[in-house]
Amino acid sequence: MMDSITQKAGIIAAAAFGVVLVSTAGYSSVSAQGLPEGFKKGELAPEPSAEMIEAGKRVYFTKCVWCHGVDGAGDGPGADRLWPRPRNFNQGTFKIRHTASGELPLFDAKKPVPGQNDLFETVTHGLPGSAMPPWEGILSEEQRQQVLSFVTTQLVKDRKFTDKQSESQTILQLADLKPKPATDESKKRGAELIVEKKCVECHGMEGRGDGNAFNLKDDWGFSIQPANWHKCWNFRGSRQDPYNVSNIFRTFSTGVNGTPMPSFADNTTVDERWDIANFVNSLCERDTLGNPLPIDPLTDKPKINFVIPSDPVEGEIPTDLEHEAWKKAPKRYVAMGGQITHKPRNFVNRLDDIWVRSLYNDKHIVYLVEWDDRTKSVAEGKLPWAPTQVNIDIKEQDPKTGEEGSIAAHQNNYAVYNDAIGIETAVKWKELPAPIKPRYLFGTSEQYPMDIVKWEADGSLRAFKGTGWDKDFEERDNYEEAMKLLKAEWVNGRWYVMIQRPVGNKKDQDYDEDTFFEVGQYIPTVFFAWDGHNGDAGRKMAVSAFYYTFMNPPVPQETYIYPVIIAVGVVLLEGWVLTRRSNKKKGKTL
Amino acid sequence: MKALMSLGALIGVAGLLLLGGMFFDIVPSSTVRLVEGYMPIQLLLEVACYVIGFTGLSYMMNAMGMAIPRFWQGIGFWIFLMVYLKYRVYPPIPFSVRAMYGTVGLVTVFMWISANEEDWTKFKQPIMNVLDAQTGGKRILRYAYLVLLPILIGGFSFNAMLPKSEEPIELRTVHPAPPASTKVHGKTYTLQTSQNPYRVNPEGKYDQEFSNANIVEQGMGRLMKPNSNPWDEKNQGYLKYVREGGEIFFQNCHFCHGDNLNGRGLHAFAFNPIPANFTDPGTIAQLQETFIFWRVSKGGIGLPNEGFPWASVMPPWEQHLTVDEIWKVVLFEYWHTGYYPRTWD
Repeated sequence: MMDSITQKAGIIAAAAFGVVLVSTAGYSSVSAQGLPEGFKKGELAPEPSAEMIEAGKRVYFTKCVWCHGVDGAGDGPGADRLWPRPRNFNQGTFKIRHTASGELPLFDAKKPVPGQNDLFETVTHGLPGSAMPPWEGILSEEQRQQVLSFVTTQLVKDRKFTDKQSESQTILQLADLKPKPATDESKKRGAELIVEKKCVECHGMEGRGDGNAFNLKDDWGFSIQPANWHKCWNFRGSRQDPYNVSNIFRTFSTGVNGTPMPSFADNTTVDERWDIANFVNSLCERDTLGNPLPIDPLTDKPKINFVIPSDPVEGEIPTDLEHEAWKKAPKRYVAMGGQITHKPRNFVNRLDDIWVRSLYNDKHIVYLVEWDDRTKSVAEGKLPWAPTQVNIDIKEQDPKTGEEGSIAAHQNNYAVYNDAIGIETAVKWKELPAPIKPRYLFGTSEQYPMDIVKWEADGSLRAFKGTGWDKDFEERDNYEEAMKLLKAEWVNGRWYVMIQRPVGNKKDQDYDEDTFFEVGQYIPTVFFAWDGHNGDAGRKMAVSAFYYTFMNPPVPQETYIYPVIIAVGVVLLEGWVLTRRSNKKKGKTL
Repeated sequence: MKALMSLGALIGVAGLLLLGGMFFDIVPSSTVRLVEGYMPIQLLLEVACYVIGFTGLSYMMNAMGMAIPRFWQGIGFWIFLMVYLKYRVYPPIPFSVRAMYGTVGLVTVFMWISANEEDWTKFKQPIMNVLDAQTGGKRILRYAYLVLLPILIGGFSFNAMLPKSEEPIELRTVHPAPPASTKVHGKTYTLQTSQNPYRVNPEGKYDQEFSNANIVEQGMGRLMKPNSNPWDEKNQGYLKYVREGGEIFFQNCHFCHGDNLNGRGLHAFAFNPIPANFTDPGTIAQLQETFIFWRVSKGGIGLPNEGFPWASVMPPWEQHLTVDEIWKVVLFEYWHTGYYPRTWD
């Protein structure tokens, strides 16, 4: 009953708001006539005490100054190699808020409302997908309040949190708005709305952030990319709770200040916003049963399983992604970090994960690699180096912002090379006593090399032997003919690449160069990924840790026989115990 | 005695409710946080609390005439232990280790229930009752066991025999033995005699007391001492170099070792072994400055085999930094974590 009343009230309010909206068409900001649905006027918080500010300075100069800079201009020593860059506090522009577009975020040092103290929540939970870590457990609650008192009063210079003349607070009443159940109907409406509201223009047809990805700049002129809705753990506003639809609802309602992401509060009803949020939330990567992926609380990313299982198939390995065998094959999340061990180091890697599945038959093993890349990159013309060359002339990302060659100047402005993927497996892995392996980066030496299969977006599929991080690759004779590219397709911001290679055997393959894939064994496997639009080539790339390819053996017959024998044995044992007991009770001795 | 026991019972009930609430998400699972670096001691304390709690609880129940049979006490405690190990301890312990703890737990429980003849009789009484099956209920129970046991054991063995692909366990030495000396940028440094050239007082003299007086304070937040701000322009000596070291750290190292030097940087999630956590009292706090100098200069590729040189992505920093820069970063790491480097004497 209550629900239906509130619903009706909501509809009436929405209708009323619709009228207001129509009458003020053309105004994009909050008009004086009415507030967007779901918002209420709030009071500005009082100024924090002088002691808080002074104590906060001490926190700031121990922890924050290194990235955010002495004057809070987001220009500390760490800033130049980060992208997204650390926040420049001076303008008072903050991304994640409960307040209307353009307004200052909520921050109350004296009487904080739990969950609604925006800046405090940001410091507590960090901004996933950026270098801002969660400070919970590192700084006490009081210290977090103190440092924010310092930042909001001393480092926000162009605006004043307590100035009633220039500032207002229109607060999204998120706690009072009950999320709409994520029914199919709601998600379907959301899917229509994201087209109608032009979300797809930036976020892409499938929401992989591949829309208008190249021309977007933030308020300071730095390049910026639309969010990829399939990686909710990277949402800045996820508050370490990525599958919570309320976070999406909030970001969508308030917009992201300082970026091209506007607030949609003025042209959507609360109901529509829940539909959109439900749809966007449904896109985030899930397991085969549709459940959210388990998130590792230490990294705020999906939990990693280092074993990539490969299932056996009879006959030809299917190339159709919709095939039953591929749908059943377990899909593994492979985390990718920038290659920062040797020059040229890749501080800003734009590929942070790939998804791997695998199948095998008696002759071949196939890897299906999928990864999100906002841009399809194919180098124009011939690359100025041989495919085998390792020590190529690619510049490391330079540290100084403003100067030529800096990351900020370069971002989205690199010479475009090929997107590429590399699968590296240990050669002679059985000869090395576990856990010893050849080194992850192109092998240890001539004696313990790596077998590298590399696909590039120009359509080439090559096989190399790696003998050290700084040694040029060696071509493997005729091996390329034995491999086959089953699929290589870029659709709406995602690459689908299917690579087939022989499982090999000692008889007719070169034991010194090729990996033999043996059923039921752990074969050390490393993945490399290159994003051509990030200027990735050679050692400038993203790299994974050691994973293991494990070809699942077909279930052996004994598995069905022995348990039955054991069960029968237990029955016999039971009989013996019972007989013994009853005999004992009757006073008989055996 | 009674008051003491009721207190124990209270602890037990509160602890169980809290734990249960956290498992089933009734209260946030972060209500009682595991603090990094203190986890083992914290877990031991927690288990001790539960033991006290259970003792109190069983005493109280006894006093109220609702005594739980020794049989169920033993089984209950063992199940509690297994559940605790599986769901409470983070990062998760592998099954093989849990099985070991479980066996030790089982032995302990057996020792406890068979401490004297009377207890042992009490313990086995319920089993005997079911075997003898003198009442109707017991008879049903007996037949249920007769049917269920073979099915369960058969099922478990089938499950155990199915081919599995669990990640192989690989144990790595985090601090392998250092060499006697190391050659960086053409100069040989003897680890036993080398000193950090930037651990100096404003007059430029090596001064450990001066630097130790200026590191951050231990305790929550590890904040700098109010008058030891490395960003003060007037600094000479130690603090000036700390700042320079910090600048290098935040241009090179924080990507893995993290903004708070706790090993949770931007790229850390992708790597295995995970980057070292310098705030953990088991890392740089246990080592000499020259050891760190060697590790930083030579990186993962320079490790002996027990340190997994093939898997570590730690750069050999001599390829990227000068000797001076490396010493300054080492200086900064000790300043920021508030630890004193160990000395040779």
